[in-house]
Amino acid sequence: MERSFDLYRRRSDRIAAGVAGGVADMLRVHDTFIRAAFVSLSMIWGLGFFLYIIFWLVSFDDVEDREVEMVDGQQGIGLGMAFLGFLLMLRVFGWWPDDALVWIVTAISFGVAALTDRSLPSPLTSLLDPGVEQPGRVRVLIGVSLLVGGLAFMASTIGPVAELGAVLLAVALTGLGLLVAFGPWVRRLAQDLGHERRERIRQEERAEMAAHLHDSVLQTLALIQRSDDPVRMGLLARHQEGELRDWLYGNMPLDGVDLVSTALRGIASKVEQDHQVPVDVVTVGDISLDESLRPLLGAANEAMVNAAKHSGADRVSAYMEVDEESLQIFVTDQGKGFDPANVGSDRKGIENSIIARAGKAGANVTVESEPGEGTEVMIRMKLEGR
Amino acid sequence: MNTKVFLVDDHRLFLAGVKSELAAEFSIVGTAYDVDAAIEGIRNFKPDVVLIDVHMPDGGGVAVVEGVTETNPDIKFLALSVSDSAEDVIAMIRAGARGYVTKTIGPEELADAIRRIHAGDAVFSPRLAGFVLDAFAGAIPSTEDPEMDQLTVREKDVLRLIARGFAYKQVARKLNISIKTVETHVSSVLRKLQLSNRHELARWASKRRIV
Repeated sequence: MERSFDLYRRRSDRIAAGVAGGVADMLRVHDTFIRAAFVSLSMIWGLGFFLYIIFWLVSFDDVEDREVEMVDGQQGIGLGMAFLGFLLMLRVFGWWPDDALVWIVTAISFGVAALTDRSLPSPLTSLLDPGVEQPGRVRVLIGVSLLVGGLAFMASTIGPVAELGAVLLAVALTGLGLLVAFGPWVRRLAQDLGHERRERIRQEERAEMAAHLHDSVLQTLALIQRSDDPVRMGLLARHQEGELRDWLYGNMPLDGVDLVSTALRGIASKVEQDHQVPVDVVTVGDISLDESLRPLLGAANEAMVNAAKHSGADRVSAYMEVDEESLQIFVTDQGKGFDPANVGSDRKGIENSIIARAGKAGANVTVESEPGEGTEVMIRMKLEGR
Repeated sequence: MNTKVFLVDDHRLFLAGVKSELAAEFSIVGTAYDVDAAIEGIRNFKPDVVLIDVHMPDGGGVAVVEGVTETNPDIKFLALSVSDSAEDVIAMIRAGARGYVTKTIGPEELADAIRRIHAGDAVFSPRLAGFVLDAFAGAIPSTEDPEMDQLTVREKDVLRLIARGFAYKQVARKLNISIKTVETHVSSVLRKLQLSNRHELARWASKRRIV
């Protein structure tokens, strides 16, 4: 996914917390420029340093970048020694601002570093959970004392200069300290919760699928195993096939809107079950189902039932086509048919029920049949203002 | 000489069933359960007709049709499937299959379909006819070759009757034309499907997936 406007902290190829790298990725420039910018700005009253902190606070861990480079103990000590050597060198050359300032900055930064290492559990867990390994806890304790010591020292140094603001300053510093120490942990907790939620949704989907398959497919398979009538077995299998296909290939209602094709398939499936004759449904185009179309479906249902009951055909076809102008449903069988000019009174009743029903809804029904040539019922309706 | 038939399906049980149904009338020269074995087997045995499942791991029937047609363009394919989505079936026809039937088809009808395919005809089941009508509905003619992207009125009539469940013979009678003409129309629909504007059909496929 494109996420050019989000600030992520790099996990791999980073020097400190990955903020400069993240900014570079966001702006699509080489990370060296960004790093140089942070260092240069730090020369001006530590502006770069504070900017770095701010960016770090507003950025996110790049969860897709899995490569976490861990600093092991030996390397850590080496880095510490090198840093101290660098400080001493500055002192020897005389570029030494002030003992107090350097020690405060050093203590705070080491404290922060010790507390925010991603490879460790959160500070609170480290202190409270007895399961956490010793080095982790020691590290957290050292980190907290460095941080608190540094802040306290800073307060005591600056305090006398501006006595009025001392209390305020102490409060602000404590707040800042807590934020630095526990802020990342709180956010990590939120991230973990997000992960958990996604995982739970995935599991729910699986469970829903399993439940659906159990209620439908497995039940049908059990029924088929218990049945010794091949016709019934075939119908069970067909019914199940249709249902599963609808479920898999999205013949399902969209946003709670029922479609005519779905309704027609439902009717066909019911006829199949009730009369033990397969009904093949083919649809082209679709339209949402509303009350004005229900009589058409009722007529189609009647036609399917007739074909299944009286035609003697071994299968019935239902075809629906929707275009801009009209909706058409054809119910066809290859059964024994009848002579429309010479229908018995019982037939007439059935025909009337189909024609009258659809006619009320403004549809036009034609029945075509010939003895020995099967029967076709055609239901047509003009669609206006849709 | 008997028509040589090759069967490809990853469901062995189904394969065994079809094999025993067809053995009396056709000579079953080979069977395969996966894409690679199918391509190799078909190239070796050079059957007349291949009965092929749409859904298989590693690319499905489309991969087999494409792989074989590259080297042996005269081998004919009849697609056979149970869990068919419209776009999978259309993809199969576009790859070169000459027809499509559902696995619920009876043994007699299946044998008839194989004979038709062997004779060079196209075999449209009602469902395939529906899919094709759906695919061409509202297709806007491209500027290059408008005829390729639209079905003629007559072709649509033929497809509609097939979709309504009529056999070719009945379609011919209803439209007052000969069976040969029905077959010509169906073959021409097949050709259009294979050659028509890819963009329009792709758009149709993606639209279907959303709805």
